[in-house]
Amino acid sequence: MASRAVTARSPSGTAALWRSTTRFARTWPYLLPALFFFVGWQLFPIVRTAWISFTSFSFLLDDSPESASWVWFDNYVDAVQDPLVREGLLKAAIFTAIFLPGMIFLPMVIAVLVDRVANQRLAATYRVILLVPAMIPGPLIFLLWGWMYSNGIGPINYVLVDVLGVYDLANQPTWLGSGNLTFLSLAMMEWWWGLGFHTMFYLAGLSTIPKELYESARVDGASEWRIFWKITFARLRPILLVLVVLRFGTAYALIDEYILTGGFDRSKPTYTWTVYMWDTAFQVGDQNRGYAAAVGWLGTLGMLVVVLWLFYAFRNRD
Amino acid sequence: MATRAEPETIATTRRLAARRRVRVPWGSIVKHGILVVTCVVILFPLLWVFLLSIKSLPDAYTNRIWPHNFEFGSYRTALTAIDTLPQNIQNSILLTLATMVITSTVAVLAGYGLVHLPTPGKAIVLAILVGSLFVPSRVTGLISIWEIQDRLGLINSTWGLILPYQTLALAVSIFIMRGVFETIPRELAESARVDGAGSFMILRRIMLPLVRNGVIVVLITNFIAAWGEWLLANTLTNDQEKRTLTVVLASANAGFGQWLWPTMAAMFVIAILPGLIAFIFVQRWYMRGLQEGALKG
Repeated sequence: MASRAVTARSPSGTAALWRSTTRFARTWPYLLPALFFFVGWQLFPIVRTAWISFTSFSFLLDDSPESASWVWFDNYVDAVQDPLVREGLLKAAIFTAIFLPGMIFLPMVIAVLVDRVANQRLAATYRVILLVPAMIPGPLIFLLWGWMYSNGIGPINYVLVDVLGVYDLANQPTWLGSGNLTFLSLAMMEWWWGLGFHTMFYLAGLSTIPKELYESARVDGASEWRIFWKITFARLRPILLVLVVLRFGTAYALIDEYILTGGFDRSKPTYTWTVYMWDTAFQVGDQNRGYAAAVGWLGTLGMLVVVLWLFYAFRNRD
Repeated sequence: MATRAEPETIATTRRLAARRRVRVPWGSIVKHGILVVTCVVILFPLLWVFLLSIKSLPDAYTNRIWPHNFEFGSYRTALTAIDTLPQNIQNSILLTLATMVITSTVAVLAGYGLVHLPTPGKAIVLAILVGSLFVPSRVTGLISIWEIQDRLGLINSTWGLILPYQTLALAVSIFIMRGVFETIPRELAESARVDGAGSFMILRRIMLPLVRNGVIVVLITNFIAAWGEWLLANTLTNDQEKRTLTVVLASANAGFGQWLWPTMAAMFVIAILPGLIAFIFVQRWYMRGLQEGALKG
């Protein structure tokens, strides 16, 4: 009201202000409900966690982050030197390196094959079957694959030991035991889960490629391999970038599967920076949440650097 | 000439076709072979777990895939084995329904506002939403989410989980709805506005029927996110009767021992069945929704 009174001297200014105010009042109600949740439980928490990471806030010692002392970058300095943080970041990186290529390229191969199925009903059947695992929630997928990999009742080792006889009971692989085999097992589980959903992304991209493009390339005598690289792969590149960035984010910050597989056993490969953060914040010692927040943000910053690099690496060179 | 040449060309094409038919279509065999094997790999674990749930106990101990004896009693045992289970199932249904309804509604409103209304500052809102996809806010923000819930007195409250649950798939849902709304010509809303319809009337009467398939995609996305959420529910609640089915089931492996595999399997089947049944019913619209631009957003 006050601002209206001030600008009342110039009628055109008032009208413009009035117009933009009503435009705000008419359009923002559509965004506000979404922004309420987004800001409240997504944007603010991540900023607030950054704030907490500069304090010495320990849940069992301090009433609130405000009553703890402000320590600037002390937590970060400690975290960088903490072998558990270093190992945790490295372990997450190893898992991501094993997981990412399969999650990006397997669906691409399947999508190219499904796209070439001429019979529409058959193609639709393939799509539905491939999508079935996507309808099962993550921790339940883990439960299911825990059984698959199990030594006692698991069908995988049953086939390897009893049917094929590749291994015997003494040296059969313990899939979720220790070492990097755990990561491969988790990666295969995630591939199984994500295959159908990611295939759909590629299929959406493939459907935008005009079929004449292939025909004219064939008339020009291009080999199938060349056609794949120059047309199919080139057109799928934007989708590839989106998937690489999104899956990198979920893989590097994975936590549910790690806690469910290895618990809080620090010697296990599943004790990554995310599990260390959770352990520090909610479980061990004085529940040093200031330090845990710093560990979380250190991992997040590392991820942002990689994401920026990915965008740079995939930039359009044309 | 032309009339006499015609039978000849037909004969030639027939002969060519015959020669082609004799040649083994290796490409097609390999293509369908890979796809069928993939489908078997996809379906096998699910069939296996279903089989486990109807195995008799002695059969379940051995890892033999096909059992000697079937027993269907595990489903009855499953519902009574964990005494909080009915409450956990109820919690899961409550949270999942609330998340599906609320997030989908706010995503439809936001998607509409971002595409078909002259919303000031929409570029900034979009940029922040895109940026949020690259930050693991659920993990890194957890410490602060705990603090917020604590200040609101909502630690160990099932209802309280509704608030953080809305952000599980919020940004993705808004992108999906934005992609779907963009496939609708702006002239449609324009002409309705000229006829004197308000923006909400246009959304309800004209837009909603057109974005129906996209809404189904968003509903399913939120169903999966909420039904299977583990980290928040596990961190923000303590008592078993306040927790969701997923959390109890995921930890039951340890607390339950290895004694009752068929019962565990039966619980698992009960937990995944709602999603699979719902998917089978709506998959037609879901597929259409995906193709209509949900994946292009």
